[in-house]
Amino acid sequence: MSRRITIDPITRLEGHGKIEIFLNDAGAVDDVYFQIPELRGFEKFCEGRPVEELPRIVSRICGV
Amino acid sequence: MAKLNLALYWAAACGGCDVAVLDVNEKILDIAAVANIVLWPVALDHKYADVAKMAPGSIDLCLFNGAIRNSENEQIARMLREKSQVLVAFGSCAISGGIPALANLKDRDDILRRVYLETPSTVNPDGVLPQTGCPTPVGDLHLPEFYDFVYSLDQVVEVDYYVPGCPPTPQRIWEVVQAVVSGNLPPRGATVGALDKSLCDECQRVKRDKKIKRFYRSHEIITDPELCLLEQGLLCMGPVTRGGCGTQCINANMPCRGCYGPLPGVTDQGAKYLSSIGAIMDARTPEEVDEIMQGIVDPAGTFYRFGMSTSLLKGAVKQ
Repeated sequence: MSRRITIDPITRLEGHGKIEIFLNDAGAVDDVYFQIPELRGFEKFCEGRPVEELPRIVSRICGV
Repeated sequence: MAKLNLALYWAAACGGCDVAVLDVNEKILDIAAVANIVLWPVALDHKYADVAKMAPGSIDLCLFNGAIRNSENEQIARMLREKSQVLVAFGSCAISGGIPALANLKDRDDILRRVYLETPSTVNPDGVLPQTGCPTPVGDLHLPEFYDFVYSLDQVVEVDYYVPGCPPTPQRIWEVVQAVVSGNLPPRGATVGALDKSLCDECQRVKRDKKIKRFYRSHEIITDPELCLLEQGLLCMGPVTRGGCGTQCINANMPCRGCYGPLPGVTDQGAKYLSSIGAIMDARTPEEVDEIMQGIVDPAGTFYRFGMSTSLLKGAVKQ
């Protein structure tokens, strides 16, 4: 019988991730999806901020 | 004594709060001696499903960092609220939105368009944007809903204590853990791990009369390392920000950006700051005020750098 294995969350990294593994009837891997359920949008909200402030803003993309 | 169950979680965050916990250094072993960690994605491998199986109230302490940016953040916040005796909003993002809440100055659809369609490094010829559901031949996939507003933790669940900072300093974190272990907690709703006085109170710089003729951007001036930065015309949020961080930014010649949040009794840190700088501007006419204000390039993003979610502005300002 086909089966679905969910690894949620994936750990020991900065950020959020989820892996879904689909097995076929024989128990072999049919398909795998790696998903990023996180977005903050630095690409947009840094627009309009003074350039000299960016080192103290984008340092919060990843603090690990 | 039975070990405490301890959970540490990050919602919309950078992981800096988690690393600040690790920065208690060898004291982390003392924490491990008194606590079973039941969730800590940055360091350990527990899954959401494991936490979901736990009985309500079975987590003694949850340090929750990160803002509520999407439906997954909210679901996990609700689950951890149910499972936790003491839920702590840990760090600026959980308390007031933090850096991720700068996105409240932008429109949700503009954010998605910029990130997934317009950025120069993006290749997306079909113009695919994230969907909450996606059917595939092997089964359906689900992503969280991206909200149009970034919320603080206490805007979605009840919070017991607040530990401010971006990130909180390791010394303050250790004090909080000790308070929980000893049962020596202040009244519910209190801010822990910070001073009730302003940052200026712990700042060692020489303060004289404040009379500002113009504001400077940091690259426009070489500051005197002994003197108050605000007096020299740099926008320093010290007067309206809780102390407790050890003036780390100021020690590095950078003005405070307010990450420890407003002083007790103040609702809106940015409005309070506007009022304080109004009082120290050396201007006699409305025209002079206008001229001095021209030196402030990004008032919303500066005065509400860490507090847009809980500000009175909320998401009202779209640039």
